[in-house]
Amino acid sequence: MTPDQFRRLAETWGGDVERWPAATREAARRLAASAEGAAVLDQQARLDRLLAAAPEIEAERADRSSLLVLQRLAGMPQQHRPPWHRRLLRWPALVPAASLACSVMVGVWLAGAIPYVHPSSDPLSVVSGVFDVYAIGFGSVQ
Amino acid sequence: MAEVSARRQHAFRILMRRHMPRALRVAERIVRDPVEADDIGQEAFMRVWTHAASFDPQVAKFTTWLYRIVLNLTFDRTRRRTFQPLDAAGDVPDTGPHAVERLIADEEFRLLNRAMLALSDRQRGAIALFHMEGLSGEEAAKAMNLSAKAFESLLGRARTALKANVQKIQDTGSYA
Repeated sequence: MTPDQFRRLAETWGGDVERWPAATREAARRLAASAEGAAVLDQQARLDRLLAAAPEIEAERADRSSLLVLQRLAGMPQQHRPPWHRRLLRWPALVPAASLACSVMVGVWLAGAIPYVHPSSDPLSVVSGVFDVYAIGFGSVQ
Repeated sequence: MAEVSARRQHAFRILMRRHMPRALRVAERIVRDPVEADDIGQEAFMRVWTHAASFDPQVAKFTTWLYRIVLNLTFDRTRRRTFQPLDAAGDVPDTGPHAVERLIADEEFRLLNRAMLALSDRQRGAIALFHMEGLSGEEAAKAMNLSAKAFESLLGRARTALKANVQKIQDTGSYA
C-alpha cells in the first residue's frame, strides 16, 4: 500500500483503520504507525466525530410514534374473510367431514357384512322380548 | 420477529420500543425534519407488521432490513419533495463540558449540517449508516442494497463533497 492509497482509503473510511475493509487493514496498520500516517488518520478522525453526532431522539417521541402505529393497526380493516366454500377446504374443517365419511363407510360395511335375522313373530318370543327390554331398562345391572 | 409474523402485538410493541429510535434517527438525519422523520418511522413499522412474514433471518439481520425499509421510504419522499427544510440545521447536541470547546464544536457542527444540505439523499444515507449508526461497510452496503464497492464509492464521494462544501461555506463566509 502506497501512502497515496492510504490517504485515499482514510478519506473514504475515516480515521479508524479497524473499520476499513478487512483486506486493507494489515497494510494500513503498518502505515498508521508512521508519523505521516498518524497525522492523516487524526485529520479524518476529527471529521468522523462530527459525522457520528446523531439527532437526539427522546423516549417520549419514540413511544408516541409507536402508539400511533398501534392505533393505525387497530383502525385497519380485518383481513378479508374467504367465502364458505374456500373455508370448507381448509384442513381444520376437513377433520369432522372426514370423520363423518369414515363413520358412514363403516356403517355401510357392517350392514353388508352382518346377515339380517328376521325376528320371530310367535307370541312367546314377543313376550320374552318385552321382558328382556324391561330387564335392561329398569333395575338391571346393565 | 417470529412472534411478530404470528401477529402477536405484544412482541411488536417490544420490537418498536427497541428499534423505533433507530428508525427515527436515520430518517431525521436524511430528511432533516423531525415531523417527517416521525411519519417515516411510523410507516416503516407499519411495513414491518404487514410484511413480517417475508422477513428471513437467514438472509439479513432485522436491523439491516429495518434500515432498508427506512431508507427506501426516505428516498421516495425526498424524490417527491421540491424544497429543502433548513430549520433543523441548527440543532446541536450538548456534549462538551468546557464552554469554549463546546462553542467551537457547536460551530463546526452547524457548519457541517449546512454542508450536508448539499449532499444527495443517498450520500447522507451512507454517512448516517456508517458513521452515525456505526454499521460496517458490508452491513451498510446491504442495507442500501449496494455492492461493497458501490458503497465504498458512495461514502468516499460523500465525504469528499462534504469537505468541499465546508470549504465553500468558509470561503464565502455564509451558511446559506
